[in-house]
Amino acid sequence: MLKKSVSVRLEKVTKTFVDPHSKKDVHAVREADFTIEPGELVTLLGPSGCGKTTTLRMVAGFELPTSGKIFIGDEDITFLPPNRRDKAMVFQSYGLFPHMSVFENVAYGLKLRKVEAAEISRRVNETLALVGLAELGNRPPGRLSGGQQQRVALARALIVEPSVLLLDEPLSNLDALLREQMRVEIRRIQKSLGITALYVTHDRTEAMSLSDRVIVMNAGAVVQIGSPHEIYQDPVDAFVAGFIGKVTFFPGTVVEVDRGCTVSLKGRTMTVPRFAEGLKPDQACSVMCRPESLRLEEPGSGFLDGRVVTNVYLGHSVESYVDTPEGEILVQVDNPMARRVFAEGEAVSVSFVPEYTKIFPEEGSDR
Amino acid sequence: MFARRKVMVFGLICLLFLIADLWIYHTLDKAFVNLADSQVRETAGAALEAVPSGDEAVSNWLERLEQGNGHFFLLYTRGIHGLDPDVTVFSKNADLLAFFESKKNTPGFLKAFENATYDEITRLSDRIVIGGTPRTLLVVPATDPATGETVGIGLFAFDTSATDAYSRLLAVLAIGAAVVFLAILAAGQFTRDPVQTYAILALFAITGTFVAYPLFEAARLSFVQDGHFTLDTWKTILTTRQYVSALKGSLELGFVTATLSTLVGFLFAFTVTRTSVPFKKFFSAMATLPVVSPPFSLTLSIILLFGNNGLVTKQMLGLENFNIYGLWGLSLVQTMGMFPIAFLTLVGILEAIDSTLEDAALDLSATRWETFKTVTLPLATPGILSAWLLVFTTSLADFANPLLLSGDFRVLSVESYLEVTGMNRLGNGAALSLLLLLPTLIAFLSQRFWVSRKSVVTVTGKPSARLTELASPRTRTALLLAMSLITLFLFSLYGTILAGCFVKNWGIDYTFTLANFREALQRGRDALSDTVLLAAAATPIAGILAMAAAMLIARKTFIGKRLLELLIMTPFALPGTLVGISYILAFNKPPLLLVGTAAIIVINYAIRELPVGVEGGIASLKQIDPAIEEAAADLGADTPTVFRTIVLPLVRPAFISSLSYTFVRSMTAVSAVIFLISARWYHLTVLIYNFSESLRFGLASVLALTLIVIVFATFGIMRLLVRKNVYLEKTVG
Repeated sequence: MLKKSVSVRLEKVTKTFVDPHSKKDVHAVREADFTIEPGELVTLLGPSGCGKTTTLRMVAGFELPTSGKIFIGDEDITFLPPNRRDKAMVFQSYGLFPHMSVFENVAYGLKLRKVEAAEISRRVNETLALVGLAELGNRPPGRLSGGQQQRVALARALIVEPSVLLLDEPLSNLDALLREQMRVEIRRIQKSLGITALYVTHDRTEAMSLSDRVIVMNAGAVVQIGSPHEIYQDPVDAFVAGFIGKVTFFPGTVVEVDRGCTVSLKGRTMTVPRFAEGLKPDQACSVMCRPESLRLEEPGSGFLDGRVVTNVYLGHSVESYVDTPEGEILVQVDNPMARRVFAEGEAVSVSFVPEYTKIFPEEGSDR
Repeated sequence: MFARRKVMVFGLICLLFLIADLWIYHTLDKAFVNLADSQVRETAGAALEAVPSGDEAVSNWLERLEQGNGHFFLLYTRGIHGLDPDVTVFSKNADLLAFFESKKNTPGFLKAFENATYDEITRLSDRIVIGGTPRTLLVVPATDPATGETVGIGLFAFDTSATDAYSRLLAVLAIGAAVVFLAILAAGQFTRDPVQTYAILALFAITGTFVAYPLFEAARLSFVQDGHFTLDTWKTILTTRQYVSALKGSLELGFVTATLSTLVGFLFAFTVTRTSVPFKKFFSAMATLPVVSPPFSLTLSIILLFGNNGLVTKQMLGLENFNIYGLWGLSLVQTMGMFPIAFLTLVGILEAIDSTLEDAALDLSATRWETFKTVTLPLATPGILSAWLLVFTTSLADFANPLLLSGDFRVLSVESYLEVTGMNRLGNGAALSLLLLLPTLIAFLSQRFWVSRKSVVTVTGKPSARLTELASPRTRTALLLAMSLITLFLFSLYGTILAGCFVKNWGIDYTFTLANFREALQRGRDALSDTVLLAAAATPIAGILAMAAAMLIARKTFIGKRLLELLIMTPFALPGTLVGISYILAFNKPPLLLVGTAAIIVINYAIRELPVGVEGGIASLKQIDPAIEEAAADLGADTPTVFRTIVLPLVRPAFISSLSYTFVRSMTAVSAVIFLISARWYHLTVLIYNFSESLRFGLASVLALTLIVIVFATFGIMRLLVRKNVYLEKTVG
């Protein structure tokens, strides 16, 4: 049913707004430069105001870049109006046409393309079935639930067989359970159609579970591009590390940089295979530890002593909150059936597995 | 967007077009000038074919020639100056003679005289102004038919203003064509959304031509006389007693009407929103009724009741010298007609004041009167001020009521009308109506930017379900009584019109008759069909233009947006007389010779009712999620398609009310349109005025009633249309 998948390429795309109050330039997006491969689903992830939605809207054509170029396939679409770009967008607020039925909403794009009525009817029903709304064609969108409206928006975008699908926080208005369900659905449809997709979200779980690759943005700049596990395990800086998952940083000092980075931490030295570039001996650094890279042991055997405050039992794991001189630390104990779980109030010692961590320069030290 | 190749192609096409444009212009101009020139030469040559001899004979011959031919003056010299020793000069025109004497030794003249000896006609580069028109000079030899020798010279001063005007028009058209073509080409080449650019350019062109240009012309005329800048007109206006008293009258009337209307409006608004009197809905409806009543109708019934032969004054009270004409009669009529404006403003303000504030005051053991004085009234003050200012500007701009009822009392709007139509002093008329603009603008601007900012009312979005009773039972009865009396009076005014339709000769013979209907509808048939036709033509234009402008202003960003907004909104603040006068000034000459056509009336309607439609459209669009339109564009709809399939259906209520508003206002227009009507295109309201002036009150009543019926029918249809709106009950957000 689909044409050949195409790539999307941004070349040094910059967007500058003039702030209406201070009259100063505000860089919404700075030199965004990346390529989305054909058939790939790429997520733009970042806190609100980081420029991810602006980037998406530039691809969609609702904003014009101040400089730089955007390509869909080989075609330079930088200045094309939205209606002449081969893409379709799913809006955060859905933007369903309130004066049309579900059927008419979905058929809108086909009518504009002058498709025959019988063909429209066939394809709309097919697409509505694809998103599980086969029975609801005659309803006005105002009388659908949030999840159903979301599906209409998706169907309306998919039916025009766009080369690129753009999704602007499509699930943010749904409740948690529905969100998870729709996430799976969107990924399934996207994969089965082999459509190139750019997905904007501020929800890291959504980004991790959906994407082939994630683009992390902060303050208008692209900070890191990589597969979900690269971004999780090997973040380029403390910001990405903190944004993509729960994390604790321990202050230490660099001893030696070789193939691994040897650090001294609370009087102990250890070698960590993953470390940020540019670290020099004697530099203050911090060791990034994810909850699952930390271990709880008998008091005195780890590098940091403390006391368990709370245990949260999650079935496949237990989250232990440990009060230490460094503050409260979250330790994840996987597979509680096979490991010892320290009870609340018990004294423990915290250690970590060097292979699962990464060294960053200390905030504020030269970098 | 500005790729080098595109710019070069654009430049090349521009160049080609300009060359073609210039060539066509030049060819046409040349051809016409040559034609005109050869005609002039022929006339001149023919005139000098038979020059008599003898001084007296020449003199008579000259007189005959100039009388028989209006468009030249002639100076004849027997003998050639500079060549013949004795030269006799004949001329009937002193200007031409003086000109000849002063210039005859200049090289140009001498050369022309020399040419004449070779039997050649020369056009001089000098020009002469005689009687206000510039004239072209031609030196023509007079030849003795027998010898073939040149015996004298004719100096012709030809009036070529018609040719000049034609050349100017041609130049304007050529430049206009170039501007339009280049703008279209540039928009198509260099903008992302050419249609949007065209729409913006078109709106600029429309408002520039029909808002800014006429105003400029009116202002220019008040400063310019005979092509020179002068303050004479304004000096006359500001020192002549008659005009100054008109300005004073307008301000006086505005002041009294605004104050009375605000009082009555507040009475109704307060009673309806803050007390528990019965029949609130009825009183609200009554208080908005006069908004839609056609001009002249209330004045008409006031005259029928209180005029020289009025039912109340003459028949019932037997008063002989009662005079309703003047300030107080006018204030009464205007107050009845304009207190709804104050009422509607104040109801909005009072409803927005949270009743819990009053509850709090009462709770702190303030009396009801104290609560009203210290809480309700201060909170409503900005609203009261803006209601006052609104009525004030409306009263100043009012034309219909003073036209019939002012008597010896002078107001600016009527004065400027009389200057233009009665005295044909266009400059004075323009200046007077501009003078009217000044207080209107001050009031309008202070309402917009000062009063509305002082407003402390916060709109919470959830009006309190219950309003606190602020009036004691006795006060309530008093309020109710006052409202009932006013309503009763209003009713009797409308009833009088109805009664007037069926009475043979009001004031003299009150026999029942249906003859008025037959005669009025027969004599008014053409005017009625003209009025309906023109209003119906303006309605869709204004409606669609308003919604398109609203979409551009509410949704798009472009250079000059504020200016466009200003141009669109300006007519709202302009008094109708000013619009009318400036239109006849601007559009009575080529290339836009529109006076006398239906087009100028339709354009005037559309432009004047545009602001209200645009405001309605913008307000309505602000309630609609922009993502809906973006989604349509995203699915491949271009701007016109988005407008047609998404915006128009979504702003349908605003669109329909804009349509009906335009229709009704155009049906009941008078102040501007009275300047623009012609023998071919007439307006019903003007006919009502004419009938009233000639004391045919029965006929006037019938026509007023007809208008009232049409107006109410229109609003009824609008209500039905707006209600049929199933999907839009809840907007998906």
